[in-house]
Amino acid sequence: MPAEPIMELRGVDKYFGNLAAVNQITLAFEEGEFFTLVGPSGSGKTTLLRMLAGMDKPTRGDILLRGERINDRPANWRPTCMVFQSLALFPHMTVGQNVEYPLKCRGTSPSERKKRASRCLELSHLPISYYDRPVTTCSGGERQRVALARALAFDPEILFFDEPLSAIDYRLRKTLEKEIKDIQRETKKTFVYITHSLEEAMVMSDRIGVMRDGGLAQIGSPHEIYSNPVNRFVSEFMGEVNSIAVKRHEGGELWCESLGATITPPSVLDESFSQGTLMIRPENMHLVNPGEARSTNVFSGELFNEYVLGSRIQFQIRCNSDTFLVERLREAGMPKSGDQISFGWSPEDSMLFPE
Amino acid sequence: MSDSVLFRRLAKSYMAFILTLMYVPMLIVALASISKSRFFVFPVRRYDMKWYENTFSSLQIQDGFLTSLTVAFCVAVISVTLAVFGALAYARYDWRGKSLFQQLLLVPVFFPQSVLGLALQLWFNSFGVVMSWEATVFAQLVWIAPIVTLIISIQAFGYDGSVEEAASDLGASRWQVFRDITIPLLSPGIFSGFMFAVLLSWGNFPLAYFTSGADVTIPEWLYGKMIGGYTPMVPAVGFLSVLAGALALAIGFSLKAFSGHKDNK
Ligand SMILES: Nc1ncnc2c1ncn2[C@@H]1O[C@H](COP(=O)(O)OP(=O)(O)O)[C@@H](O)[C@H]1O
Ligand SMILES: [Mg+2]
Repeated sequence: MPAEPIMELRGVDKYFGNLAAVNQITLAFEEGEFFTLVGPSGSGKTTLLRMLAGMDKPTRGDILLRGERINDRPANWRPTCMVFQSLALFPHMTVGQNVEYPLKCRGTSPSERKKRASRCLELSHLPISYYDRPVTTCSGGERQRVALARALAFDPEILFFDEPLSAIDYRLRKTLEKEIKDIQRETKKTFVYITHSLEEAMVMSDRIGVMRDGGLAQIGSPHEIYSNPVNRFVSEFMGEVNSIAVKRHEGGELWCESLGATITPPSVLDESFSQGTLMIRPENMHLVNPGEARSTNVFSGELFNEYVLGSRIQFQIRCNSDTFLVERLREAGMPKSGDQISFGWSPEDSMLFPE
Repeated sequence: MSDSVLFRRLAKSYMAFILTLMYVPMLIVALASISKSRFFVFPVRRYDMKWYENTFSSLQIQDGFLTSLTVAFCVAVISVTLAVFGALAYARYDWRGKSLFQQLLLVPVFFPQSVLGLALQLWFNSFGVVMSWEATVFAQLVWIAPIVTLIISIQAFGYDGSVEEAASDLGASRWQVFRDITIPLLSPGIFSGFMFAVLLSWGNFPLAYFTSGADVTIPEWLYGKMIGGYTPMVPAVGFLSVLAGALALAIGFSLKAFSGHKDNK
């Protein structure tokens, strides 16, 4: 019997004029989970979060907190707190005053305020010497930490993050991602996190929701979403992928026009299937040695480009009019640009999406 | 190299020329106020400070000074209050007719002031309002409040409204957001707006002329004396009035510098 969700959206719509920024979303957050919303820009992520935080009201549908309808409860009466994309630090205050602010609002005594704010600065890895610095003199990463500390000082039941790391350079972002995840583990609070970085989503989340045009295309664990995307959109969104147009051949086989060959599908073709897209992740592609005996889904082409990605290497192979990506671990004796090579994939590693 | 030296010299002379043009008349007013003779002749032959003594002891002038000061203070306080809410309505909310309202509000700023003064006088008369300094406050508000709103609006547009949402999200009530976030962030605009309002009101003649009735502001007194009964007290009051404006600015800016200093500590 699963516990009652901490927060829930039931059939929520949000219209701006005629535009459905959020469209029929039903979603429940479990206590203590790290939930990430991903999706292209304009897909409604921010709008969804603003409704959860109480800054916008849904046009239709209900928002529930532990089973209680809270549509009309304003942001300052909700036990939630948001870290804004712009961070929204108070520029006329010091670091300490920023972090103390939520405590000041509820009338905590100055000494208690200072104690708790210091603790929160520590949690977000800011030295206590920053306490009296004007927040405007902090660097991007430090501001990020101040915003996090301020949200923690509020002691919310749920924390929302709207792409907080998007303006931060790669290395620091990695560090901060890890710290945010650690804080979530330590505090056991529910985190709802928006990002457009897949890496970020994959590393941090217990569950991911993929948004598209105001709706949820898929919800699941990072692994589920990556390996079993429900449609072409999710599959392409979740990382690089080889896609080939396919259709049903007279004999009931799968036929690829551009390769001029039949292809073994991942499973027996559905009766209703007539055409669609077959997708294979680059890391699920193999290089086939000349002597190797493989019968299905093997093609050959010209290797025309290679990218080294740390310990891995990615090959671009031209085959008729298509280009294929093959990603492998780097080892000795790999083919070079200009080589004619064979490649293929196991049918069970491919994904077929009918159209 | 020598070209740029030449250019810099030219630029400097130009600046000196402009400044001379602006400040020499002021200097002449100052000279006129200390000339011994009753009528102004240039160059001044004999100097005398008696006009200043007369000025300071004149009850009429003391009265005018008090009236001008009261009007300026009331106009500044009321227009800043109106402007803060007006600016927030512009910058933070979207409502129907917003841009029309914005334009209509600014039109009086571009009216010839004597026409505006006359119009307001007729308007007051038709309501049976007795002309007095209170009517002047109202008349000047029509002109000054939109200007102050413009100044404070620039400040309101200048910062990201999400800080107010963040404060409310952190548990602040509407009032707490207003007191702790909005007002401090608007304060540079509030300060400039207040100073502007005081100085515009202090120097304003046409609106006061039509609406102040029996009350006399300093610019009105100056005008009256110029028309009939010139004495060097006219330039003396004029010069003192400029000094008062400069003093108000100086006090304002040092207060601001002081409070800024305290904040950064
Ligand atoms: N206040 C608003 N007024 C009008 N349209 C809005 C407003 N906020 C968002 N939108 C529109 O709603 C859609 C979703 O926006 P948003 O939630 O910000 O997307 P995301 O955060 O996923 O990039 C966009 O098309 C955006 O233009
Ligand atoms: Mg967004």
